[in-house]
This record gives sequence, structure tokens and C-alpha cells, in this order.
Amino acid sequence: MRPTQALLKRYRKLPLTTKDINKGFYKGTRTGSMGSHTKYGGYVIDWAKVRTYVVPAGLDEFKLTPFVTKRMPATRGRYEGYALGPKSPELYLDRWKAENGLD
Amino acid sequence: MATPTSIRPVIGRTINYTRLFSNANISSLAILPTASSVQSRCPFSTTPERSMRRPRRDGNRLRGLSSIYRSGPRFRMNIDKSEVPQPADFKPEIKVDPNHGLWDFFYDQENLLLKPDEEADHGRGWSVEELRHKSWDDLHRLWWVCVKEQNRIATARKERSRMQLKTGTEETAERLAEVRKTMKAIKHTLTERYYLWEDARKLGEADPEVNLSAIGNAYTPSDYLDPAMYESAPEQVEAGEGTRQQIAGGGAEAEPLTEPSTTQPQGVDPSTMPPKDTDSPQSPARPLG
Repeated sequence: MRPTQALLKRYRKLPLTTKDINKGFYKGTRTGSMGSHTKYGGYVIDWAKVRTYVVPAGLDEFKLTPFVTKRMPATRGRYEGYALGPKSPELYLDRWKAENGLD
Repeated sequence: MATPTSIRPVIGRTINYTRLFSNANISSLAILPTASSVQSRCPFSTTPERSMRRPRRDGNRLRGLSSIYRSGPRFRMNIDKSEVPQPADFKPEIKVDPNHGLWDFFYDQENLLLKPDEEADHGRGWSVEELRHKSWDDLHRLWWVCVKEQNRIATARKERSRMQLKTGTEETAERLAEVRKTMKAIKHTLTERYYLWEDARKLGEADPEVNLSAIGNAYTPSDYLDPAMYESAPEQVEAGEGTRQQIAGGGAEAEPLTEPSTTQPQGVDPSTMPPKDTDSPQSPARPLG
């Protein structure tokens, strides 16, 4: 059956499933793969693909919050003498030199 | 149907028993006629449902008894139902660690949900310009603070829908939006910093003062005086050693991006104020930040 235009419009409000579309559509679960399938039906975990979450140390003493007080308006930086403003590489290099060329 | 209803099961049970007994005798002879086995499945009854009822297949004496759906005991008991002892009201006390990390999913241990006015009591998200002056470590930790805040918001949202509380959903959404703004700004800052580093590296390759393949210091200022070459001039030697000490002192710093270097005046962020003449600390700092 070929749905009419009006039916199609209604139909598209539903979430797309693999049945709605032609062969080869991979919907997934937005999680990504952690390895590869073997030809015998097994699964080999690739540890380079497995997610590693690095939680920084010293979160307890950390003072910043996700919020800034509303009493302080958003600051505007001044990048005089740099053509691209904060995106100019000369700024980065000058700062690097000002900090004695470390890193 | 001459027999009354109360007697009927008794008769059926007796018939069933004798049939089972005779079946056991026959099975010991290993002869099982098909017709008699079919008959033995159902005890005789003139009521169609009872006649078709299947007998118990196992000898489980507790079959059909349940403490869950209150089947009650199978046999009449000597004591009344009211005399049956009550089960003990056993409720184990759950030990909760007050310092457990899962408490981070809530704002407070006593008040698991914020009131709507408390929920709305938050500031704005960080802007990119404010985050440009933060070090990598600070941004990394701020990101995880945002993640924890997001978890708290998601927990509150879930809890509110579970308790069917109608208020506070808009406040929660606004709060989450500000957190998302901060997280977006962090990503923006780091991406920008990476591209900036790439461009600055290209720029540094063309810079005569910068030698990126050098073992020690990649940066040699054009007005730098080597003390070994100018041993005869003591003032110049002192100047050279001063520069070297600055380099050494800068190397000991853990966060070169946040802490202003020795040539910088304290309290002014060096990113907004890169002095052109590095080796003259006497030059007045331009008040840009």
C-alpha cells in the first residue's frame, strides 16, 4: 500500500524505525560500538573503543559552579592589536613568549 | 444427579484411589492398556467440567498452597483464624553511608527535592569569554561539576514525575538550560584553544626566536644574552642569569596558563595582556583586562 500524502505527513510524526525505511538503515542506540562481531557470532571487545571517563582530582575543593551570578554581566574581552581577536594565533604566541616559552 | 454436591468429591477421590492402586499393579506387569489409562486421567463425574479435570500429576502435598495469594491451609485447623500467631514485623534497618558518592544525585540529604523558588535561584551560565582565561584543569573540573548538576536535575525531574508534582518543571528546565550553556561554552573554549594552538605552532615555525625542535627551551628571545659568551661584562651576566632564573621559576609552575609569570604583574590575566617586550619587566603593563 502506498499511503497518501496526508497519511504520510501523519506517519512521519512517529519515530523512525528500521521497518519504515529501506534495507541497510542502521538506527542504533546512539551508544557506539565497543568492539567488533566475529564471524562465529561472538563479539570481541576492543578496549581502545571502550569509554574511559577521567574524573579530575580535587572536585571537592573546587569552588566554581555551573552558574555565574546574574549581578555580573558577561565580560567582554579586549583584544586590541589582534586582527582575529581571541582567535588570532599571534595572541597565543605572544602569551606563550610572555610566559617564558613553556609548554 | 442424585448425590449431593458435598459427597461427590469424596466418591471421586475413592474411585481415583482405587484406580491408581489398580494402575500401579498393572504397571508392575508393564502392561498399560490405552483405554484404561485414558480413563484414569479423569475421575468419574457426571458434571462435564469435573469429568474433564486433570488429576494432579505429582505427589506434591503442598500443591495449590500459597502464602502469597492467601489460599489458606488445605485442612481444617484446630484453632480459629484469629488465634493464628501473627508473623513478626521484621524490618531490617538499612545502614546508609552519609558520605556515599550517590548522595551527589541530590541537593541535600534531608530535602531530596528543591522547592520551585530554590530551583529558580541560580545565575546565568558561563560565557566563552570568561572561560577563555581558565586553565585546562579548571575547565575539566567545571565540566564534571556541570555533569553532577545535570544528574541532580535529572533526578529531581524523575522524582517529581514519580510523586506527580505539577510545579517546578519550568524552573528545572531553565536551570538545565543554563548548565547546558556552560557546557557548550566549555566545549567552545577547548575547541578554539586547540585550533589556536595549531595556528600558533605554524606561526612559531616561521618565527626566528622559536626553535620547536630544540631539546631545552624552545624560545630564545632576540635580546637574550648568553652569560658564557659575556663573562667579561658582569652587568650583562647578571641580566642573563636573571632571565634564566625566570625560565627556571616558570618551569616549576604546575599551571603555566593560569598563574601569571614572574614578568607579569599579579592579578592581571596574561592572556588579555601579552606584553610585546618580554624581557623588560619595568615597562608599564597595559591595563587591558
